[in-house]
Amino acid sequence: MERFLQYFFDGLSQGSIYALIALGVVIIYRGSGHLNFAQGEMAMISAFIAWWYADLGLSPWLAVGVASVTAFVAAMGIERFIIRPIGHKSPFAVVVASIGLFLGMNALAPFAWKVTIPQAYEALFPDKATDFVRIGGAEWREQNIGVLLVLAVIAGALYLLFQRTRFGLAMRAVASNPESAPLVGIRTGQVLAVSWGLAAAVGAVGGAMVASLRGNVDASMMFTIFFAAVAAATLGGYDSLIGAVFGGITLGIFENMVAGYQPDVVGQELKGVVSLVVILAVLLVRPSGLFGTRRVERV
Amino acid sequence: MTLLLDVRGLRAGYGPVEVLHGIDLSVAQGEVVVVLGANGAGKTTMMRAISGTISRHGSVQLSGDETVAKSPDAIVRAGVAQVPQGRGTFVDLTVDDNLRAGAFTRRDGEIEADLDRWYGVFPRLGERKTQRAGGLSGGEQQMLAVARALMSRPTLLLCDEPSLGLAPIVVQELFATLAGLNRDEGLSVLLVEQNANLAMGIAQRAYLLETGTIVASGDVDELRKDDAIRKAYLGY
Repeated sequence: MERFLQYFFDGLSQGSIYALIALGVVIIYRGSGHLNFAQGEMAMISAFIAWWYADLGLSPWLAVGVASVTAFVAAMGIERFIIRPIGHKSPFAVVVASIGLFLGMNALAPFAWKVTIPQAYEALFPDKATDFVRIGGAEWREQNIGVLLVLAVIAGALYLLFQRTRFGLAMRAVASNPESAPLVGIRTGQVLAVSWGLAAAVGAVGGAMVASLRGNVDASMMFTIFFAAVAAATLGGYDSLIGAVFGGITLGIFENMVAGYQPDVVGQELKGVVSLVVILAVLLVRPSGLFGTRRVERV
Repeated sequence: MTLLLDVRGLRAGYGPVEVLHGIDLSVAQGEVVVVLGANGAGKTTMMRAISGTISRHGSVQLSGDETVAKSPDAIVRAGVAQVPQGRGTFVDLTVDDNLRAGAFTRRDGEIEADLDRWYGVFPRLGERKTQRAGGLSGGEQQMLAVARALMSRPTLLLCDEPSLGLAPIVVQELFATLAGLNRDEGLSVLLVEQNANLAMGIAQRAYLLETGTIVASGDVDELRKDDAIRKAYLGY
């Protein structure tokens, strides 16, 4: 039981990270049907920006907030000046462009800040060895609780935005029927730009959480997390925000259980394979995911 | 009579293919005008050109204001609402959210009152307020598409083949509603239809569109008397 709880708590915070990145993937996918391969790297750059602001003297949390806003504005620009013009030519080109962004951003971070080794990042939550709550013999670390709370706040804010605001209604309308949205006066372009901004801002928070847990920022910090987030979005359904949260948490817990109980077969090294297996299994059994919209084609 | 919609030399199409070869058409304030034409005549293209969702050339004036270079949302704000072919409802949203989306351009405080009003006109929608639009029947979805368009408080309603795929009784009900809105509210309607008999029943004037060109126009009573038109469009 103690072991189980320990893997559960560890999985919960790992899953919260996946969920934060998966939320970004889903927000963009809902609006335009594009899978943004750069979502993880956008979060990585944002974590660097947060680290940089903190280095300039901002308090750690304020630095995260400012990095989020920076990411929001920058991603709106990326949508407007790169993704949209390319999307007019071919939807496939957008995938290539987002892979290009992935590679470009990965190269940009070490170049822009002239650092090639991981840089120390000040923890956002109490992270001393003694900062934990003991439940059923297992240690629930306070920083892990913190990450889960951050996810809860972000998910709650997104829920209110999508369900209770006029702009949220417009975002849902564009996701449901992009051809009809302009007919009621919704500016589809504006909605898509804001979707990118929102995805990047949520991603920035995710990136900062990763940096805080690792204790440093590094160009490769989001690689495996991004693919796990894609697996989480696949599991939850690409167009479902609730699915992204559920998928992320489930995958995080599942991964930790598998790695924990099968240390010889899977272990920490092969943990990433779990994501791949989940992607394949979902695509084979239920391609729309658990919460995704099943498209019915009338012929 | 003041012209609400004045279209001159309208050309439009998709990429290199021109579908509309310069059409002239008008709708007066308070008028119901129907455009008849076979499949592929360019009826839907004409509607899209007027609502600004495809690129077009020529002149489209709304109460004297040129809208041919305006974006679709600006045209909605200017008072034109389109009921697209195939209804185009937001199937993942509830009926209520569909109607609220219809009021997206409005910022006045009477949106709730308008919701109640259209639920009164279309009681079936009121009963299904919280259901997803995708679960409605074809007729209910068409009602929803019309109500959604009306939520923007348009001065001109564009209806693209509202009878498509609906049972005859539902079509009659729908046309009676449109006629009632025109009679009681003075709503101007530009209607595109293949069901010429019904459409001419509620319209004052009609145009015939063939392969992207207007080939005849006039009061519906006059057009009914024309033998060629009667045979081709009215089928008797």
